[in-house]
Amino acid sequence: MSNQSPTMSSFKRAPVSGEHPRQHVLASLRATQIVESKPVLPAELIATILDYLPISDLFRFARTSRRMQEMVYDDTRWIQRLKSMNCWNETEARQRFEEAMRRKMEAQRAKEAEEARRTGVGLNGSVNGIAGGGVEEPKKSITLFDAGWEEEKQRMSLDRSSARPRASTLDRGFDAMTLSPSGTSAPGQSFSLDPNLALKVLTKVRSIRGHARQEYGKIYGALAPYYFDLARSRSHTDPVLFRTYRDPEQQAQMLSQLKTFAKSDFAQGWSRREEKLESMIGIFENAVLREFEQGYESNDVDGRMKRYAHVLVTLNGGTAGIDSFIHNHPLMIDKEKLGNPTDCLKDTAPGHISLQPSHDFFRELATSLNEQAEIIDRVFPPTVDALLPFLDRVGEDIVSEYVTTLFDEAHDTSIEVYLKAVAGVFSQGLQFAHSLKGTKGSKANFQQEVLRIVSRTFEPHVDLYLSEELDFFKRKSELEVEVWEKRLSDEEQSTESAFMANVNRQAVKRDFLSSFRKVVMMPVNVVSTIPTPFGASKPVTAPAIPNGDSLEPPASRSGTPAPGERSTSPRLEAPNTELAAKAAIMNSRLEGIRSLFSIEVALNLIHMAKSSLERAALFVKLGGQSGEESREQCENIFISLLQILGQRHIRTGFDKAVNHLSAYNPREVADHAQQGVEPLVTFLELVNVGDLIQQMVDVFYLQELVAPRLTDRDDFLSVAVKEKKRFEQMLDERVAAGLNKGIDVLMDEVEYICATTQLPTDFNPSPGPDGVVQMQDIGASHTATKIVDLVSSHTSMLVGSTDKNMLDVFNQEVGLRLFAALCKHLKRQRISVDGAIKLISDMNAYHAYIATLRNKSLTQYFSALRELSQIYLISPEHAKEIATIIADSDRYYGIFRAEEVYEFAERRADWFAVKRAVERAMYGFGCIVM
Amino acid sequence: MAATTLEAPQKILLQTSDNVELKVDRDVAERSILIKNLLEDLGGEGSEAIPIPNVNEAVMKKVLEWCEQHRKDAPATQDDDSDSRKKSTDIDEWDQKFMQVDQEMLFEIILAANYLDIKALLDVGCKTVANMIKGKSPDEIRKTFNIQNDFTPEEEDQIRRENEWAEDR
Repeated sequence: MSNQSPTMSSFKRAPVSGEHPRQHVLASLRATQIVESKPVLPAELIATILDYLPISDLFRFARTSRRMQEMVYDDTRWIQRLKSMNCWNETEARQRFEEAMRRKMEAQRAKEAEEARRTGVGLNGSVNGIAGGGVEEPKKSITLFDAGWEEEKQRMSLDRSSARPRASTLDRGFDAMTLSPSGTSAPGQSFSLDPNLALKVLTKVRSIRGHARQEYGKIYGALAPYYFDLARSRSHTDPVLFRTYRDPEQQAQMLSQLKTFAKSDFAQGWSRREEKLESMIGIFENAVLREFEQGYESNDVDGRMKRYAHVLVTLNGGTAGIDSFIHNHPLMIDKEKLGNPTDCLKDTAPGHISLQPSHDFFRELATSLNEQAEIIDRVFPPTVDALLPFLDRVGEDIVSEYVTTLFDEAHDTSIEVYLKAVAGVFSQGLQFAHSLKGTKGSKANFQQEVLRIVSRTFEPHVDLYLSEELDFFKRKSELEVEVWEKRLSDEEQSTESAFMANVNRQAVKRDFLSSFRKVVMMPVNVVSTIPTPFGASKPVTAPAIPNGDSLEPPASRSGTPAPGERSTSPRLEAPNTELAAKAAIMNSRLEGIRSLFSIEVALNLIHMAKSSLERAALFVKLGGQSGEESREQCENIFISLLQILGQRHIRTGFDKAVNHLSAYNPREVADHAQQGVEPLVTFLELVNVGDLIQQMVDVFYLQELVAPRLTDRDDFLSVAVKEKKRFEQMLDERVAAGLNKGIDVLMDEVEYICATTQLPTDFNPSPGPDGVVQMQDIGASHTATKIVDLVSSHTSMLVGSTDKNMLDVFNQEVGLRLFAALCKHLKRQRISVDGAIKLISDMNAYHAYIATLRNKSLTQYFSALRELSQIYLISPEHAKEIATIIADSDRYYGIFRAEEVYEFAERRADWFAVKRAVERAMYGFGCIVM
Repeated sequence: MAATTLEAPQKILLQTSDNVELKVDRDVAERSILIKNLLEDLGGEGSEAIPIPNVNEAVMKKVLEWCEQHRKDAPATQDDDSDSRKKSTDIDEWDQKFMQVDQEMLFEIILAANYLDIKALLDVGCKTVANMIKGKSPDEIRKTFNIQNDFTPEEEDQIRRENEWAEDR
């Protein structure tokens, strides 16, 4: 504190400033002159002392001198007291002030003409000084006061703010005070205020600047007598309050006001008074509570219960009443009646749980709660929300207990039952939450609150549940794959494989996928238990659908042990059978292909993932941390699906296929009658199946993860998205690696065919007995037909199963390698003019096949080959023409150089006869030109 | 010199207005925010006596007695939280006895506490004064606090009437 503030006394202290250079700190203090003789307290200290004075003493103090009065009357002192009771509204005060200023300005303008000389200047000045620019603002909100009165008051406060109290003004100002009976009541006539007015005094407080003292006075006048009387009283029968007010409602109202009032009591001993008040309120509350409970016992809803609930609410918000209401509620007392949680586990097939009893439990609870909501409406005033705390207790004591017992029991029985129980009961719980109705006292967010309560009862189980779910899924699916692998090794690598002949793959796959999509979109049975009233629906417990139910495609090959009971797979009816049929067809068509990995296994895995996911996804609704966790767990389930499906299953299959491919040696295979290279066929079919699985995964991902917003497709950081990418990449990689090997194998086969089936007489027919070559059939040779069939049957297998780019690359590669192989082959032949026709037919056959691939550059290669074959057609007499054709590189689209063509020309049967003529023509031309 | 600054508890010298030097423990003296800040400004240098020009020896001793008693109290918060002060607790027994001094001394203590910035002592003093005022008539108050009455009897009565609501009953 500084000592520069105004003091009552005349002495002056030397100012001590805080910013002395260091060496002067003491020097300046030493230099201070002491003039003081008698201690007198400065104003600020007096103000502090006044804070500790009781109200009555304050005004006696005010009467000692003008200065003291000014200090006591200081508006801020009273505003502070009002604020301590939360009775001061700053914005209201400002509005009133501005309103008043506006009125004043208007009145002023009207009077200006006549009063300009007397008051105009001074008042104008002060008005502007105080209100600044805000005066002009037209505020129309409050018109509570008579203009004249307001003006009067305003003037008064302005006068006072100029700190020169004039007796007359003060008198007038205080006369205007609206403290109703004080004018007539003599001091000491204590409880003379109208008791009914006092009842509402706190609600009538206004925030008026300059009038805080008067406003506080009204409150004080109304409440202080009771307050001090209560503080002095020895027993609960003593206080005047209880004699003045006979109604418990009024008593409660007064007590609650006194409690507020006590907050403005700063004087010494306030804590004792407040304590006393508290204990008195406590006694009163207990008495009322007893009445309330008696009413409760005799079920006197609209009489005593209602009345005393209202009293309690008036007193202190009614918490005690609500507590008692909840605590003594019949629901709480005999909660066993609602049902035994273990009922759900009785009489069920292994791995199953009956959700009927728990559903009954929730339904009964909801019914009785809705009844209670009505009673609450009748008993409690709409200002308090009694239902929510009640529900809170119900959630904690009844639902939570039930659920915990059930889950523990289920966990002991088996994990699968546990998982079903948690998810099923949770969805029932959500239904339950939605079926509750609010009361009049419920706030707008009632539904969310109820959901929160229900969610909270489940939250402790979520963690365990989610980890169990993931484990369960992993275990199950790994088992599935293992079983399958075992079966495969039992069958010893079923190498025999059939063709997927004449199947329009794309159409079949599209068809299959659309059925698959339908099934995926169907809700899993866990969820479907509640939504409809039970009447029609079959009991969930009974294994309703017999064996053919599951989605697994029927085992297509006899002797294949069907995979074990998979109870997780959703039991659906309509699309189920459709899909099963489709899968059967598909499987019979793909027979022989499933040797390395199986669409069936993939389907099973996906269905397990789906049921797990849908159970786990329920908990996402919990929101908050648990919601987030369950969302993550959903992604995890998806990820492990991809890992098991991708890494464990498909990849192994592909690797095996590729190994088979690389081990293939056409010369070692005895039977070439079969159309196609067996391991390559297997592999290409695998590519098909892989593609199908990938599409299934994609559909699954969209339906199960993206659609319910479990994951964001565009979030490139999402682990699920990443894992899916990796899965697809893996698939692509395997396919590419396999195709690479596949081309080698294919070409080996081509070369093998060329070497073994092309007869030397094909292109160089021996002349018949008459010396003339017999031309029986003008068509492609047996070899060419075979090669074209072989290659085309393999390339067409890929159509629709890999993406276009991959296919193009594959075709290109196949075409180029075929071209090379043919060139090589050609150079091994000897071709006569007669045989050239056959050769050209061959080349036409190749060309025609290549043209179906619609690859322009590839087609050019084979066109060139076709052109090339014409050099064999020219009869030896036209050696010059041969030379022309050899040199005409445009003919070959630049694919063959002249030297290369020359090499081919050497394969003419009569080459040695025409060689000289041709060479002469070729090089001789050059000489002539030169 | 160095030895004294290092000794614990550290002693400092205070010079009162009547030029008496008092030796006190530093932590006792630092109940006064003024002295505390001064010592911080001075740093560790010197054992020079700190002049307290507004407080004489008798009052200073009394104040230091209080500080000694309350040396273990939590240090006063720097910011002035008026609400917590308003609802402050009643005077404890030791303080009540401590404040049983003549009125002049009481005022001197309050002034000194104000000057030295010892908030808790100032509060105790103010409360004691408030207790003195309680129940007294305006005349008695005037006499006690040496206040000049500048009201006419009518004016004084007017104030009484307009605040009748606050009368004791």
